[in-house]
Amino acid sequence: MEVITLTINGKTISCDPGVSVLDAAAKNGFSIPTLCHHPDLKPFGACRVCLVEDEKTGRLMAACVTPVAQNMAVRTHTPRILTHRRNIAALMLAAHPESCIVCDKGNRCRLRRVAAELGVGEIRLDPMPSDQTPDQLNPFIYRDLSKCILCGKCIRADHELVVTGAIDYSMRGIKAYPATLQDKPLEQSGCTFCGTCVALCPTGALTTRSTYVGVPEREVDTVCGFCGVGCRLRLGAADSQVVEANPAMDGKSVNGATLCIRGHFGHDFLNSVKRLTRPMLRQNGTMTPVTWDEALQETARRLLMLKEQYGPQSIAFLGSSKCTNEENYLFQKIARSLLKTNNIDNGGYALGRGLLSCIEKRTDGSGRFHFFAGSLAGLEKCDAILVIGADPTHSMPVAGYYLKRGAVKGIPLIVVDPRRTELAKYSALWLPVQPGADTDLVNAVAALILARKSHDASFVERFTAGFREYAASLRALDFEQIKKSTGLEKTALEKAATLLSHKKIAFVLGDGILKQRSGLEAVEALLNLAMLTGSIAHKGAGFYIPAKENNLVGAWDMGSVPTTLPGRRAVTDPEARGEWEKIWQTALPTEPGLDLVQIIQAAEAGRLKGIFIMGENPLRSLPQPERVKAAFAKLELLVTQDILFTETVEAAHIVLPGAAFSEKEGAFINMEGRLQQLAAVVPPPGQAKADLEILLALARYLEDGNGPASLAQVRAEIGQVLPLYSPSARSRHLVWIQKKEGREAAIPFSPVKSAAPDQVETGRPYMAVLGSRRHQLGSGTRTGLSARIAAFSTQGGIAVAAADALKWGVADGQMIRLTSANGIMNGRVRIDAKVRPGFIFVPHGEDSNQARCLLGLTALMDSASPGWNTCPVSIEKIEGGLP
Amino acid sequence: MKPPEIDWQKLNALIESHKTEQWGLIPLLQEIQKAFGFIPPESVEPIAEALGLFPAQVQGVITFYAGFSMVPRGKYVLRVCCGTACHVKGGRSILRLVQQDLKLKEGETSPDYKFSLESAACLGACALAPTMMVNRDYFGKLSPPKVASILNYFGKEGREEG
Ligand code: SF4
Ligand code: SF4
Ligand code: SF4
Ligand code: FES
Ligand code: FES
Repeated sequence: MEVITLTINGKTISCDPGVSVLDAAAKNGFSIPTLCHHPDLKPFGACRVCLVEDEKTGRLMAACVTPVAQNMAVRTHTPRILTHRRNIAALMLAAHPESCIVCDKGNRCRLRRVAAELGVGEIRLDPMPSDQTPDQLNPFIYRDLSKCILCGKCIRADHELVVTGAIDYSMRGIKAYPATLQDKPLEQSGCTFCGTCVALCPTGALTTRSTYVGVPEREVDTVCGFCGVGCRLRLGAADSQVVEANPAMDGKSVNGATLCIRGHFGHDFLNSVKRLTRPMLRQNGTMTPVTWDEALQETARRLLMLKEQYGPQSIAFLGSSKCTNEENYLFQKIARSLLKTNNIDNGGYALGRGLLSCIEKRTDGSGRFHFFAGSLAGLEKCDAILVIGADPTHSMPVAGYYLKRGAVKGIPLIVVDPRRTELAKYSALWLPVQPGADTDLVNAVAALILARKSHDASFVERFTAGFREYAASLRALDFEQIKKSTGLEKTALEKAATLLSHKKIAFVLGDGILKQRSGLEAVEALLNLAMLTGSIAHKGAGFYIPAKENNLVGAWDMGSVPTTLPGRRAVTDPEARGEWEKIWQTALPTEPGLDLVQIIQAAEAGRLKGIFIMGENPLRSLPQPERVKAAFAKLELLVTQDILFTETVEAAHIVLPGAAFSEKEGAFINMEGRLQQLAAVVPPPGQAKADLEILLALARYLEDGNGPASLAQVRAEIGQVLPLYSPSARSRHLVWIQKKEGREAAIPFSPVKSAAPDQVETGRPYMAVLGSRRHQLGSGTRTGLSARIAAFSTQGGIAVAAADALKWGVADGQMIRLTSANGIMNGRVRIDAKVRPGFIFVPHGEDSNQARCLLGLTALMDSASPGWNTCPVSIEKIEGGLP
Repeated sequence: MKPPEIDWQKLNALIESHKTEQWGLIPLLQEIQKAFGFIPPESVEPIAEALGLFPAQVQGVITFYAGFSMVPRGKYVLRVCCGTACHVKGGRSILRLVQQDLKLKEGETSPDYKFSLESAACLGACALAPTMMVNRDYFGKLSPPKVASILNYFGKEGREEG
């Protein structure tokens, strides 16, 4: 490539064409002030403080938007430039209100810093503050546009990074300002409160609303504790409290300058009064604070007693998709090596594990990682995207930004969902499928692709087996029947086939598949489609793990599951067992244990006597809470190790107060397989302790004499078998464990099955579809305790079609009652144009996660299960329930 | 007189005709402005949806150009020039005169939707200063009697109609 040679301040430098003068200067140690420039945003050239001078012509140009040119000679700090820069800064300050001194941006205000660096102090110009009034009705963002310098960063962040489009310039010249549609307050605009604009705003025009006033004492980078995207956070702390969260912007993170509403504003739950601060023991029915020694000794004594009395299978463990790798590792080690049971699972029971086990089964463990796409960046580079039963713009917002950016770049995006999700707006095609009919839909699309011969024949030839039978069964599909089950015309399916012709597909799955009736069949059909189109081990193609919890992946990898040991190798595999037996110096149980639902069922049946729960809240997250409660009541021992006084903790016999992600060290693995280290930003509250410390102490009480004694030793122990998980592992993206040597066996197609879609029932004529809203994560145990999110009530409620609301005679905001075969929930109606008549969208997490009451506690990813995603309901209007 | 009713069918047909066009936004807005006298705020979202833009972006374009308006305007839009040449020749007084006569301030529309009053930076006819425009027609070398007769002319016509 051509090399450009130029001089900057007399120094000759060379660089690639297309680089801006600003970047070329920065790379050579000349720092030029900027206000409107940000490396993640398109150059804009609005503020002009980056002016530089062309030596030859004397022309002034904005360095951020001027590309380098051959033989160019520029100066960055001549007196003339400095005068101009000072004038610009002075003009900006003159237009600024005088509340600068009490501004929350404080010393982080870029305008103030640039002005100070230029030596602009007192302004001799007449002040000309603007008359904009602040927008402050929402609990998250304080918008005082009188401090706006029109740098356009917020608008560009909103359009280019998070692709929301809530704001744009309105008016022009002196009247211009970043506006929402019709100047409505933010909460009535399309704003998702991701806060990205706040993080980038160089002035106090956009600030975070908080009970903490001023600038935090210190800032530490760590990883978000909510979902599996694993955004890098910069937490601001004062005293021993986290008071602020911002994107870390370290250049290598998955999120860059973006975050979502939870990451940015939801971490105030950390300071909730519901935090556990002391170990407690239930004595004569009441919770009594005790010392750590007493609590741990009692836990160990009673666990060992149960083991002695009823055998190891009378005890079960629930690890956590929110806890660290090391904690999950040690937790399952305690279960397996000290109590000799494989009865261990975690809250990620449903989410994605079904997908994983289908892949494992098909590939016999080897080559499984090829199916996974890995880095989210692939979503902006792949050929085509199929999003099915998922709305990542809500469940994993930052992954949603990748999808939206990919779609805006022109990657064909197909959204399959009964509801017109937010993502559908960006899609090339939205297929409103009947719930539960995804299997038919996927098979039909595969059949159409095959009929056009637009599949990847050479991939099929080289790497697969059983194609002939598969092809024959696709050819035999009855499109009349498919139209009936999916509710889709063949022409719509043809469109999908056209978009996917000769394409390697990126698959994004969600609850709509993994928690759905016949989810198993749908996953099999999707794997077939992936193989047919060769969407495996190809840039961006393959499956993206729908990790709704921050360490969902790590909890599996570390063996907090009933079927596999750390490293995801089967407990039934003697070789794998042998490796760990050598390290743990003990014999391990050989039979797979109970999974989450089986654990509850066994407790119900009285077979299980004790459960140890770390960082999960089954009483709030599982269907049929009454059943779960009754099951827990039968236990002789319920130990909970948690950070919050949850519904489950309330039912416990022993309570061990743990530490939140911001109070301890350890590692999480995000949905891409990225291993990320946490930082202890603040100490745990009161007597609470880092969970690993608690587990290490417990192991000692359980008479594990020669186990590891520190985080470093735990890591070293893991590293003996799984070197990739050590913090020093070189690859930032660890790719699904060891690859087995040798040529991989052909991957078999699975036979095509059809599955009956969900039907409404007599007496229950509406189909409730459950789903996520971005401000609540999962069951809302943590996000529900965020004061800011709790104050944001306008967004909640049960979404229904206007036609249905009219039919029932209920107005927006009125209370209704939903009744399913399993239970009842009450909630406010929100009329939503995206919902089709006959369907009702019920969000998880809100109102103590009432939505779960509609569901039945049945096994997931099981052909016989009705799933946890949809259910037929009847509607009743609650009189007098007007807002 | 009530504000003009929006003929949604007509509006949708206009949107439809520009849907696949590249850079179709401005021509579309121009047509809507012409057909309705303003761009109904309710149309911003359908326009954005059809053209694959954000509603706020569409609003940004509408508010950027003086030629577009989101409020219904009068049958006659008066634009009195306040540019340099006109200013020197007394453009301000002309504006004040019109304001008094119509009982309207700048940017306002009469309750009967007959007149809207605006000021302009320069109408590009400085030789004729002071100037104003009524819809697309220029009136130059204005004087108080001339202004009165112009307003009278449009006012009279209106009375006959009404
Ligand atoms: S609000 Fe902030 S980011 Fe947005 S244009 Fe104004 S100064 Fe820039
Ligand atoms: S918070 Fe996010 S969605 Fe809202 S205006 Fe800012 S960038 Fe856009
Ligand atoms: S997308 Fe997930 S990881 Fe990122 S800020 Fe939001 S909750 Fe945290
Ligand atoms: S930083 Fe270059 S114009 Fe603003
Ligand atoms: S200044 Fe009035 S027409 Fe130019």
